Amino acid sequence: MTTVDTRLMADLRRFGAAEIDACFSCGNCTAICPLADDDATFPRRIIRLAQVGLPDELIASKELWTCYQCGRCTDRCPQQADPSEFMATARRWAIAKLDKTRMAAAMYTSLWAAAVIATVWAVAFALFFASTRAEESRATLALFDFIPNTLIHTVGLVLIIVVFLYAVFTIVMLARGFARKQGVTAKSLFGGAAAWKRTWRAFWYAIGIEALGQKRYRQDCEDDQPGEPLYRRRWLIHALTVWGFLGLFAATILDYGLDILGLKATGTAVPIWYPVRLLGTVAGLCLIYGVTFLALRRWNRTKSGLLVSQPTDWLFLGMLFVIGLTGFLIEVALYVQPVQVWGYWVFLIHVAFAMELVLFLPFTKLAHAMYRPVALFFYGLAKQPA
Amino acid sequence: MTGVTPTGRRIGVYICHCGGNISDYVDVAAVRDALKDEPDVVISDDPIFACSDGTQHDMIDNIQQDHLDGLVVASCSPKLHQVTFRNVAKRAGMNPFAYTQVNIREQDSWAHTHDRAGATAKAIGLIRAGVAKTRLSDPLEPLVVQTQPRTLVVGGGVTGLRTAIGLADVGIEALLIEREADFGGWVAKFGATFPNDASGAQEIADLLAQCRARRDITMYTGAELTGKSGSFGNYAAEITLHRADGDKTLTVDVGSIIVATGFDSYQPAEGEFGYGTDAVLTLPDFKALVDTSQGSLTYQGRPVRSVAYVYCVGSRQEAGNEYCSKYCCNAAIHASTLVDRLHPGVRQFHLYRDIRAYARNELSYNASREGGSTYIKFPDDTPPVVETTAQGGLEVNVTDLLTQGMELTIPVDMVVLVTGMVPRDNTALTELLKLPLGSDGFYNEIHPKLRPVETVVDGVMIAGCCQSPRTVGESVSAGLSAVAQSAALLKKGFAELDPLVARVDADKCRHDGACLTACPYNAITTIDWESKQVASVDPAVCKGCGGCVPYCPNGAIDLLGYTNAQMTAAIDELIASEEVMA
Repeated sequence: MTTVDTRLMADLRRFGAAEIDACFSCGNCTAICPLADDDATFPRRIIRLAQVGLPDELIASKELWTCYQCGRCTDRCPQQADPSEFMATARRWAIAKLDKTRMAAAMYTSLWAAAVIATVWAVAFALFFASTRAEESRATLALFDFIPNTLIHTVGLVLIIVVFLYAVFTIVMLARGFARKQGVTAKSLFGGAAAWKRTWRAFWYAIGIEALGQKRYRQDCEDDQPGEPLYRRRWLIHALTVWGFLGLFAATILDYGLDILGLKATGTAVPIWYPVRLLGTVAGLCLIYGVTFLALRRWNRTKSGLLVSQPTDWLFLGMLFVIGLTGFLIEVALYVQPVQVWGYWVFLIHVAFAMELVLFLPFTKLAHAMYRPVALFFYGLAKQPA
Repeated sequence: MTGVTPTGRRIGVYICHCGGNISDYVDVAAVRDALKDEPDVVISDDPIFACSDGTQHDMIDNIQQDHLDGLVVASCSPKLHQVTFRNVAKRAGMNPFAYTQVNIREQDSWAHTHDRAGATAKAIGLIRAGVAKTRLSDPLEPLVVQTQPRTLVVGGGVTGLRTAIGLADVGIEALLIEREADFGGWVAKFGATFPNDASGAQEIADLLAQCRARRDITMYTGAELTGKSGSFGNYAAEITLHRADGDKTLTVDVGSIIVATGFDSYQPAEGEFGYGTDAVLTLPDFKALVDTSQGSLTYQGRPVRSVAYVYCVGSRQEAGNEYCSKYCCNAAIHASTLVDRLHPGVRQFHLYRDIRAYARNELSYNASREGGSTYIKFPDDTPPVVETTAQGGLEVNVTDLLTQGMELTIPVDMVVLVTGMVPRDNTALTELLKLPLGSDGFYNEIHPKLRPVETVVDGVMIAGCCQSPRTVGESVSAGLSAVAQSAALLKKGFAELDPLVARVDADKCRHDGACLTACPYNAITTIDWESKQVASVDPAVCKGCGGCVPYCPNGAIDLLGYTNAQMTAAIDELIASEEVMA
């Protein structure tokens, strides 16, 4: 016997899914879903968990995170219940439920709270770094004289560690739910060579094939009629955004590493082909490209998965875009003579937003970047022969 | 040849092929030829379809040109086409009761598909018997009875009230009697009702005002029908008025009676789905709670934030009520939409076997779901269990087929048992009117599709939930159908009845009295005739069943159209045919 939480639907409605009450469990959505298979039949089943009121079952459903919101279920739904939006809502709800600080819940359920929280943190970071600013050199654009790179690195590291620890905490909570529902135990993961092998394969599937390779997203587009041209295929746009983000993150870490090793001091001007700089530039271009198309698609609502956009969707895209754009403006400012004073302030904005993005990881849509691979890991486990 | 002497009658015989239904198994040509030589048979023909328009025209031409005075069609069951060919005779100017239908399809060709010779011989025998019966037929005329332009309506609920107005509208005086102290029945107790959200109480008040304003409607409460005599078109209804100073009786002549006595709500047994525990209510009680709620929904001072409806309580049971009351799904769904509107935020779970939201009720079902009601389908063999928790709350355990058969425990503040309709105990009325009851205990109509409000008792009609569970609209429709049927019977001022009734030959009657008790319709009475007492059949009451005929030791009773002489001749002919064949 599982006890029903009679308030779950009311709770979920705060996060969206305005039409889901129209669902009468026909299962057309499951039939059309390219991701539904024997091990994961959804969205109907997931919607039902919400309607009946089973929050523990809902949050332990890895299917929430395997959905790409392609919108086919919404196209097919005879009740106009918008199942695609429901899946997005359930993810928002799950992110908020896993977050014990309630910051995510506040941002998802109130436009004002989202605006205030995003602004306050951005301004706080900006003011903090602005308060430490030193010399605005007119000879060269000496950004790290303006704000010391050691300070940026220290603040960044502390922030990453804090966020990482918090993220691990939420991931463990989520993974325990998945494990309970799927019957996965420590023994089945690590008990013996065969178990290790399965675990490794599932890990590779989640991180290598899916998170980095975006394999199923790629396949998902193959049946599109009419097919999109390659340059605006959904998987490519999303993959470029992911790769751009990871590339920039890697470039930042590598640049810091070179500094620690004494190979290249942070801020030293290097030619465009210098590997770390080349990586950063290419990744930045990818990110800008991806984010621009994501935003355009959302704006034009070109697919049924995007009938509803939440302020937090825009906040996430906006932050990525601002970080990418300011990054390139800094590049421009660095090579333009005479020295452009605005370059210092663009740099300040860039740093403040980058810090905020890292901070917001467990509290916003970016959280899917950490929860989705966990879900895919369990999905991969289920696919392994016992 | 069977040795019958010609009587001078001129009879036409038609042997139908019925496409191939008959001719595939019976040698129709041989039958036709055999009948050609039968005494008194002027025409013997074998049409492909006797009932087709063309053949009917040919028969009329034959009857008129050859001056036929008897008609035999050998085809299908008289249930199908007796009236058809009687009308052919009538149109041709022949007495319709000089027509005999012989069934050589159901009783011959279909029954003997492997014996063509036997089936052919049997057909010849049957048709000869039919000819023999026709040979002795007398022309009969319909019985004409005068009718009273007044109808008694029994039951003053929504159906009875609307029916009385309908009667008055077509110019038939209505006498409306209600057993209870107030008119309006169930509907008067309801607030908003489906499908239009109109208040039941208000609708009743409006109907009552209209009834009271009509001079041709007479109404009594505390009144029962306690006696009925006379026959269709001229009943004498004895009505007992229960008054504070004792019962009073009045007798009113009425032409027809419309019974609209309604239903009882199913009463769950103690402990049935937790019935008897606090906050476990039947649907009518819950409806009353919602109708009277102000502000938030509360029960005995406690807020009701969640409700579980258990459907089909007392309905569709293997032992007990097997039928579906069909109104209850829709009433419960409507109640949940009311709760949604009046008390948004109340969480509602509907535990059902099947939802029967037919016709426009589907829209209400949609509205209920879209309002946030959750529908949980449980397996027929695993009904929900209602329990009281240690803390004194209620919870319902149910298996949800739509959530992979999970067993759910739903904590709720209130459980509503969605109960159906059961027949009222109206034994006295049922016996008085001799109304037939179905196996479910509701009154039975003659034909569920084509004669939906008439009963086997002439001039007594049924309408509304005394006949079967139904909605207000369906009940009122039935009432108005009964109005139309009453008008059809009473508006001409007279009625024509089938003349196929029993008749007593007073000369032969020795008044042994055996027939008096044999008649199930009380149509036979004793009268004085030429200084002796004899039995007499009231043709308006007689149904022509023939039940009295064999009881008479003196052979004094004959059933017109099926006289002893006719039946004996037919049997003799059949036996003679058998012997010839042998």
